[in-house]
Amino acid sequence: MQKPALASDNENMDWLSALLDGEADDDLEGIGRLARDEALKARWSEYCLIGDALRGLSQPSGRVPERVRVALSDEPTILAPVVKPRHRPALWLAAAATVAAVTWMTMHAEPTAAPPVRMAMQSGPAEVAALDVVPYLAAHQDYAQALTSSPEMHFSQVALALPEAAR
Amino acid sequence: MRRGLLVLACCFSIPAWAADSLTTAIAADWLKRVADAPRRLSYEGVFVFQQGDAMQTVRIANRPDGSGKDSRLTTIDGVPREVRCTGSESVSISGQGGQAKFERRLNSRHFPDLLPTNAERLLAWYNLKVGATARVAGLECRQLELIPKDHFRWGYVLCADKDTNLPLKAVMVNEHGQPLMQYAFTEVRFGDSGTLPSAKPSTGAAEVPFLAAGDALNIKQLPPGFAREVAIRRKLPQHGEIEHWVFSDGLTHISLFIEPMAKPFMPVKGESKQGMVNMLVRQVGDYQVTVLGEAPWSAVEAIAMGLEPKPR
Repeated sequence: MQKPALASDNENMDWLSALLDGEADDDLEGIGRLARDEALKARWSEYCLIGDALRGLSQPSGRVPERVRVALSDEPTILAPVVKPRHRPALWLAAAATVAAVTWMTMHAEPTAAPPVRMAMQSGPAEVAALDVVPYLAAHQDYAQALTSSPEMHFSQVALALPEAAR
Repeated sequence: MRRGLLVLACCFSIPAWAADSLTTAIAADWLKRVADAPRRLSYEGVFVFQQGDAMQTVRIANRPDGSGKDSRLTTIDGVPREVRCTGSESVSISGQGGQAKFERRLNSRHFPDLLPTNAERLLAWYNLKVGATARVAGLECRQLELIPKDHFRWGYVLCADKDTNLPLKAVMVNEHGQPLMQYAFTEVRFGDSGTLPSAKPSTGAAEVPFLAAGDALNIKQLPPGFAREVAIRRKLPQHGEIEHWVFSDGLTHISLFIEPMAKPFMPVKGESKQGMVNMLVRQVGDYQVTVLGEAPWSAVEAIAMGLEPKPR
């Protein structure tokens, strides 16, 4: 990370942070400037102190304002970032959609007098895909009215309260 | 005063009892006449059949044939199709794209011949209400409502010709009186105008089912009024040979198909858009059973749930 010759205060702080993290070691020009710039040196010292204090490596010197020292000592050591739990509505929707897909399987059949056509299934698990209503409807019509057309059917899974003996 | 009230109560109760008895007799008479008319009359006409969005126009000709009938129904719109009904079976010949398809049906129910013989037995499960007169196909007719006494069957509203009692209109209605399916003549004329031409010869492709023992499963319970009318073994496309039982109260027909279970599965409910046809597929012992019919869900469910495996 190269520090521009005329840098803003923010850019100076970013460069100092990078240097502290070992990411600007090769910026010799910047390091030379740090050596000449008293304000930058003071900021560097503060950064080092803050870093040491956060890591518990040294006692803050008297040069650190008292309120900062107290604040630092009160600050709990953070070992791992705490990620605030976020609601994931999209995932819940996806889960609900999956449940719905399992619960409600919709198929349509339009059997006619033409040769039975295997029913197309719009969605749902495989065991329902095997359900083909056309042959049943056609066979049923042998006993229903001679001219009933076979209506469009909608299918869903049902929970039946089965007596144990009937299972 | 108390004695006066008692006398008054008796005066009202006796006519009420008498009227009820009379109504039953009249109702039975009405049903008998309306049920017999389509079989004993010679008539020709055109009727419209409507179910949901589907509508079809059919030309019909009927001749009495001994105690039965000989009738021919020909669709005059949509896919060409001819159904020839005699005594207890019908033959359906449909043609599309130059190919004729021949099907043998195992019954001969069709509009206007929808009521069973011994139609008065329906009064055990339906109330008959004789309504106002209406006009259908240019003829005066009397409205007759068959109102189910429970939730195991759909109702019918018929309109019977005032002179001949032939149903000129028949509407299958749900529990709210909403039409599920209806037939209505647009024109009809009575009287013999020659014999009907014979049906086209069979191609020999029709499958002939044979009677089954009907003991693959135990029937623990059936909805009130329903009895098993048929138990046959037949081949079903994509299913091989399976057992087909039919339960009926005389007007409502519900089929039960029994086949070996391929793999365990969750029960599946099927229903048509308007709820007229209901279906339930479930497992009973080692069998997959499919119950299907133009009947309320409660009837289909009751039949499916009234089955149990045979004890080993």
